[in-house]
Amino acid sequence: MDLEGFEAATVPHMNALYDAALRLAGDQATAQDLTQETYLRALRSFGTFTPGTNSRAWLLRIQYNLFCTQYRRGRRMPLVWLDEGEADPALELPSAEPGPEEQTVRELDREAVRRAIARLPEDFRMAVTLVDIHGLSCAEAATVMGVPRGTILSRLHRARRRLEAMLLPELGRVQADDL
Amino acid sequence: MTCEDFQLRLTAFSLGELEQDEVSDARDHVATCDNCASQLLLDRQLTALLRASAVPAPQETTAAVLAAVRAEAGAGRLAPSPRQPARRRHWLALAAAVLAAAAVLAAALLVVPAPDPGSPLSAAWSSYHARGQDGLGTPTEAEADRLFAVLGPDSRTPDLAAFGLAKDGWEARDLAGHLAAVAEYRDPDGGRVTLMRWRGDLPRVARGTEGGELAAYTWGRHTSYWWEADGLVWCLVGTIDQKRLYGIAEHLGGESSPATAG
Repeated sequence: MDLEGFEAATVPHMNALYDAALRLAGDQATAQDLTQETYLRALRSFGTFTPGTNSRAWLLRIQYNLFCTQYRRGRRMPLVWLDEGEADPALELPSAEPGPEEQTVRELDREAVRRAIARLPEDFRMAVTLVDIHGLSCAEAATVMGVPRGTILSRLHRARRRLEAMLLPELGRVQADDL
Repeated sequence: MTCEDFQLRLTAFSLGELEQDEVSDARDHVATCDNCASQLLLDRQLTALLRASAVPAPQETTAAVLAAVRAEAGAGRLAPSPRQPARRRHWLALAAAVLAAAAVLAAALLVVPAPDPGSPLSAAWSSYHARGQDGLGTPTEAEADRLFAVLGPDSRTPDLAAFGLAKDGWEARDLAGHLAAVAEYRDPDGGRVTLMRWRGDLPRVARGTEGGELAAYTWGRHTSYWWEADGLVWCLVGTIDQKRLYGIAEHLGGESSPATAG
């Protein structure tokens, strides 16, 4: 086994792994544990990794399996389903009015987005995390989650419509150079 | 393509996942339908928002994961990275020993005979267990002098305030014929940590894995960490979180190693 090869293939993806873990687990301590356990499992099975393939997808698959088999039962984040068009008083979106400090506003945007994603059902949230946030293809996300590609597309479609409804104020502030 | 057809394919089109034979139809439709063009813009704005919401791993998480990976690799007898400084390698070896020990000790407990009731290990456990009944105070001046004469500067009770632990007494104890300095700590949540040091050899069952310098040994639901430095045996045990306890063991082990002992 080659430690340097392992680190070269996996360490660049640690931000993505932590972010995905945080969205799955819902708190930083569990996210760190999940990320660490994912890396240890990946190290043990690095011999099965095919060089040249997508190591980020490989890691995310290990992490998702680990979460489903060992972390899901003990997680603290409840599943929340929002019906289409339902208003959620607990979701406090920041004002749509642009503030004097653009960076502050942007951070509020990010927080609102994170909260909105957190309110998605787990399967939707994971599909959004894998594809929209971390750039996996639908086929790769399907492999990670163990479902057909069409299921990923369906989940993404429904998740995005919900997110749009929750994030309309933020969507109005996205600049052309963000696209 | 109708508006309804486009809406059904909007996500796939926006993500570049639409089948090739449908892409041109979708483009043609957007070119002539303001409503669907607006919807596509909104969808792409949403993608930009989502991507900007990614949370980077905190530095401590990155460091902890890398340390765990290198420790695990060390336990598997991988060659350490040549870029790692010698001091780091030392602690990676310790971490590797702990991880490996944690993995094997459950099994080891099944095959390793129970410690000799007269061994320092048993005496240390009895001392730790008895704390609930009789507590610790402060040694007499003569006892403190004797501890210093036998153990040297390491007889002093280390300050663990940085770990949220307050000193809660210390004393001299006889552990199976070994004069030991025993210190107690408490944290604000009632967690308890006991540190014992005496001159001698590590108990056999606490020697950990081959080449390890820090060993973990389980006492019922309590995990204890053991190491040896300058002829002294150190034993740390407590009711606090294991990771925290290990961090303290690593800290104390670093201070008591030959490189830093005063």
